[in-house]
Amino acid sequence: MSKKQDKNIDPLMMDHDYDGIQELDNNLPTWWIGLFIITIIYGAYFVTDHLILGNQVSAEVYREQEVLMAQKAKEESKAPSVKLTALTDAASLASGKAIYMKNCMACHGLEGQGVVGPNLTDPFWIHGGSVDKIVHTIKVGVPAKGMIAWKSQLKPQKILEVTSYILSLQGSNPAGAKAPEGAKE
Amino acid sequence: MDTTQQVKVSYDNAIVKNFAWATVIWGIVGMLVGVIIALQLPLPGLNFHEYLTFGRLRPLHTNAVIFAFVGNCIFMGVYYSVQRLCKARMFNDVLSTLHFWGWQLIIVSAAITLPLGITTSKEYAELEWPIDIAIAVVWLIFGANLIGTVWKRREKHMYVAIWFYFATFIAVTILHVVNSVEIPVSFMKSYSYYAGAQDALVQWWYGHNAVAFFLTTPYLGLMYYFLPKAAGRPVFSYRLSIIHFWSIVFLYMWAGPHHLLFTSVPEWTQTLGMVFSLMLIAPSWGGMLNGLLTLRGAWDRVRDDAIIKFMVVSISCYGMATLEGPLLSIRALNKVAHFTDYIVAHVHVGALGWNGMLTFAILYWLIPKIYNTKLHSKKMLDLHFWMATLGMLLYVCSMYFAGLTQGLMWLDMDSDGYLKYPNFLDTVLKLIPFYYLRAIGGLIYLLGAVLMAYNLFKTACSGQLEVNEEVLVDANFNLENHEDEEEEGVHRWLEGKMGLFLVLTVVASVAGGLLELYPTYLIEGTKNHQVVVKPYTPLELEGRDIYIKNGCVNCHSQMIRAISAETKRFGNATTFAEDLYEHPFLWGSKRTGPDLDRIGGRYNNVWHYRHMEAPVSMSPGSIMPAYPFMITNKVDTSTTQTKLKALRVIGVPYTDDEIDQWKESYEKQALEIVESLKADGIDAKTDTEIIALIAYLQKLGKHDAIKK
Ligand code: HEC
Ligand code: HEC
Repeated sequence: MSKKQDKNIDPLMMDHDYDGIQELDNNLPTWWIGLFIITIIYGAYFVTDHLILGNQVSAEVYREQEVLMAQKAKEESKAPSVKLTALTDAASLASGKAIYMKNCMACHGLEGQGVVGPNLTDPFWIHGGSVDKIVHTIKVGVPAKGMIAWKSQLKPQKILEVTSYILSLQGSNPAGAKAPEGAKE
Repeated sequence: MDTTQQVKVSYDNAIVKNFAWATVIWGIVGMLVGVIIALQLPLPGLNFHEYLTFGRLRPLHTNAVIFAFVGNCIFMGVYYSVQRLCKARMFNDVLSTLHFWGWQLIIVSAAITLPLGITTSKEYAELEWPIDIAIAVVWLIFGANLIGTVWKRREKHMYVAIWFYFATFIAVTILHVVNSVEIPVSFMKSYSYYAGAQDALVQWWYGHNAVAFFLTTPYLGLMYYFLPKAAGRPVFSYRLSIIHFWSIVFLYMWAGPHHLLFTSVPEWTQTLGMVFSLMLIAPSWGGMLNGLLTLRGAWDRVRDDAIIKFMVVSISCYGMATLEGPLLSIRALNKVAHFTDYIVAHVHVGALGWNGMLTFAILYWLIPKIYNTKLHSKKMLDLHFWMATLGMLLYVCSMYFAGLTQGLMWLDMDSDGYLKYPNFLDTVLKLIPFYYLRAIGGLIYLLGAVLMAYNLFKTACSGQLEVNEEVLVDANFNLENHEDEEEEGVHRWLEGKMGLFLVLTVVASVAGGLLELYPTYLIEGTKNHQVVVKPYTPLELEGRDIYIKNGCVNCHSQMIRAISAETKRFGNATTFAEDLYEHPFLWGSKRTGPDLDRIGGRYNNVWHYRHMEAPVSMSPGSIMPAYPFMITNKVDTSTTQTKLKALRVIGVPYTDDEIDQWKESYEKQALEIVESLKADGIDAKTDTEIIALIAYLQKLGKHDAIKK
C-alpha cells in the first residue's frame, strides 16, 4: 500500500496522542472477523454436541471398550492349546538371541548366568523348565519377584524364539553363574 | 478555556536502568542453565552433583527465564512507559526501590533453594511457601506503584498498553494466590492444599495463564508502546485493540484444561479447555496484526533497522505460537504431541522468539535513550539478530522433529495390535542427535545475548545516565473538563475511569477460573467414590518427598492417558479416585523417561537399587541421571510425624494410631526392603533415602483398594 493511499484510508484519531504515539482506527480485517465468528460458532456447536447432547466418547466409555478388547483377547488365547516345541533353526535362534540381548540381558546376564534374575543356563527352574512353562513365565511374568510380563511387548512367536534361545544355553556353564534356584528338571 | 500552565515532571530513569541490567544479567544466567540441562540429556555424566542434577536444574532454568529475565524486562518496560504515558513520575520512589530489590532477592532465593531440592514440584510455581508469600508482597508493591501512577496521571485516557499492564497485575495476583494455597510442614516444606485431579486443574489453570498473563499480556503492552515508538508509525487500529484486549482477558482463563486432555480430570473441563483455546486464535492474532500492520509504510526500516527486525520476528513468533497452541488442544494432535519435545519446541517459539526477541529490541532501543547516547555498535546488533534467529530456528526445528518422531513411535502399532516400539528406551535413544542440535542452537542464542550485554555495556560507558529526565507537561489537567466529552464512545469514556476499568478486568478474567474450578472442587467433596485409596505409609511418604525433592517429575509422568497405545505400554489408564490423596499431584508434563504410575511390582527391589545407583547397569544406554548419593544420604525423619498430621488436616485419613506409631511402621517396612536386598548381597541401611524411594516406587499403582 502506498503512502498516499494510506492517508486516505486510515482514519487518524486526532485526540489520541500518548507520548507521541498516535492511533488509527482502521476497520478490522474481514477475514479476521470471519475467523473469530467461525471459531465461536464451532465452539458452541462442539459444546452442545459433546456436553449437552452427550455425543462424546468419554474416557469411561473408552475404558469399557478396552475391557471388551481384553476379554476377546483372553478368549482367543484360551482356544486351541497346541503343545509347543523348541525351535532349532539358526534363524529363529538368532532372532531369539537378539530379543534376549535387548530385553533380558540386564537382569539375566550377557550369557544367561543371572544377575537380578536367576541363572537360565542350569537345569534348575523356579517355574518349570518345559517349553510351555517357560513360555508361560515369560508371557505373564512374576511381577511380585521382579520378572516382567512380556505378553504386551513380545508376540507369541517372539516369545517362543527367545525361549528356544534360552534352552539352547542349557549346560553352557558361563563364568560367574548365579547359584541354582528352584527345582532340578 | 483557561490557558494551560506547564509544570516540570521528572521521570525516574534510575529504576528503569536497574531493571534493564537485571534483565540482561538474569537472561544470561537463565539461558546458561538452559544450555547446561540441554547437554545433560545426551550426556547424563554431566549430572555431577546431587544439587546439579537435571531434575533440580530444570526448574531453575524455567524460573530464571520466566520470572527473572522476562519478569525484569516487564518491570523495565512498564516503569519506562507508564511514566511517559501518564506524564507522571512513578507513584512512589520507595515502592520502586522495594520492588526492585525485593524481586531480585526472590530470584536469588530461588537460585539457592531449587538446587537444594526445596520445591513444591508444581510447574512454574516450585518455590516454597515463605518465598510464595514474598512474591505476593512484592507483586502487590508493584501493583500499588503501577495503579498509583496511573491514578495521578496527567492524561485523561489510558493508552492500550496500560490496559494490558492492569490485566497482568490483576490476573497474576489471582493466579498466584489461588495456586499457592498450601499447608506448611516446616520452614521450607509444604503440601499443596489441593490433591490429584483437582490439583492438576488448579495447577494448569495457573500454568496456562502464567503464560497468558506473564509472558503474553505484559509483552503486548510493551509492544503497543515500544513498537510505534521505534518505528515512528501510528498504531494500526484502535478498535482492534479494544476487541482483542477484552477477548483475550475473558477467554484465556478457560483454556487451562487443554494441558490435561485424556486424563482423569472431568470430561467437560477438557472439552471447554479445547473449545476456548480455538476461540483464542483470532484474539491472539488481533495482537499480531495490530503489531505487524503498524509497520505498514515503514517496511524499508524493517530491512535495515535490526531493532525493528527483532520486533517483526518476535511478533511473527507470537502469531505462530498462538496458532499452534489452539491446534495442540485438539485431541487428535494433542495425543501425538503431549509429553514429547514437541511441546518444548512450542514454548521456545514463545520464549526465544516472542519474549526473547522483543526484550532484545526494547533493550537496544531503551539503553541508548536513558544514557543519552548512541548504540555502541550497529554491526554487533546485526550479528546478534542473526545469531538469535539462527539459534532459535536450530532449537525449535530439532525439537519439533524429535517430538514428532517420539510421539509417533509411542503410538505406532502393528496389524496385530502390538506396539511397534515396546521398549521405551528405544524411542529415547532416537532423539540423542536432536538433543545435540538443540544444545548447539541454544548455545548460539546464548552467545548472542552475551554479545548484546557487551554492546550495551559499551553503550552505557559512552554515555551518562539521565537519572531524572525532566520534561514540561500540562499542569492543571482536569478529568472533568474536556470538550470532546459528548462525542466519545463508551469505551473511550471507560478509558478515563481507572477504577471501573480495573473492576471490569477482574470480572472478565475471574469468570473462567470460577466456573471451571469451583464445580470440580464441589465434585471432590460430594462424589461418593467407590474405591478408597489407602494413604501412603510414613516410609512411602518420605520416599515420595525424595521423588519431589529430586525433581523426578521433570522427566517422568504419572498419568497414563486413556489412549490404547498408552494403556498397552504402561497399564490401565489413571483414574480420578486413585489420586484422591496426591498432595501435590505428580502427573508431570514431559515424558523423557517412561510413565511411572504403575511401576510398582514391575521390577524387584534389587533392580531399583541398582538402577538408581547407575541406570545404565539395568538399562544400557539410559540417559537418566545416576543417584548414587541416595545410598548414603539419610532421610530426615524429624518432620515425618508433622507431615502426617498436616496431611490429615487437608483430608488424608490417617488414623491416630498411624500418626502415633509412625516410627514403628517406618522401621518395619524399611527393614523388609533391606532384608530383600541382602538376599542379593546388597548391604543397605534402613534410614537411607534409597530405601524410602524404593518403598514409594513399589507402591505406585499398587493402591490397596478397599470397597466402601
Ligand atoms: C527386570 C529384570 C528382568 C528382566 C528384564 C527379565 N527378567 Fe526374567 N526374571 C527376573 C527375575 C527377578 C526372575 C525370578 C522370578 C522368581 O524369582 O520367581 C526371572 C525369571 C525368569 C524366568 C524363570 C526362571 C525360572 O527359574 O523359572 C525366565 C524363563 C525368564 N525370567 C526369562 C526372561 C526373558 C526371556 C526375559 C527377556 C524377554 C527376561 N526374563 C527379562 C528378572 C528379569
Ligand atoms: C533426565 C531425565 C530423568 C530424570 C531426572 C529421572 N529419570 Fe528415571 N528414567 C529416565 C529414562 C530416560 C528412563 C528409561 C531408561 C531407564 O530405564 O533408565 C528412566 C527410567 C526410570 C525407571 C524405570 C522405568 C521403567 O518402566 O522401566 C524408574 C523406576 C525411574 N526412572 C525412576 C526415577 C526416579 C525415582 C527419578 C528421580 C530420583 C528419576 N527416575 C529421574 C529419565 C529420567
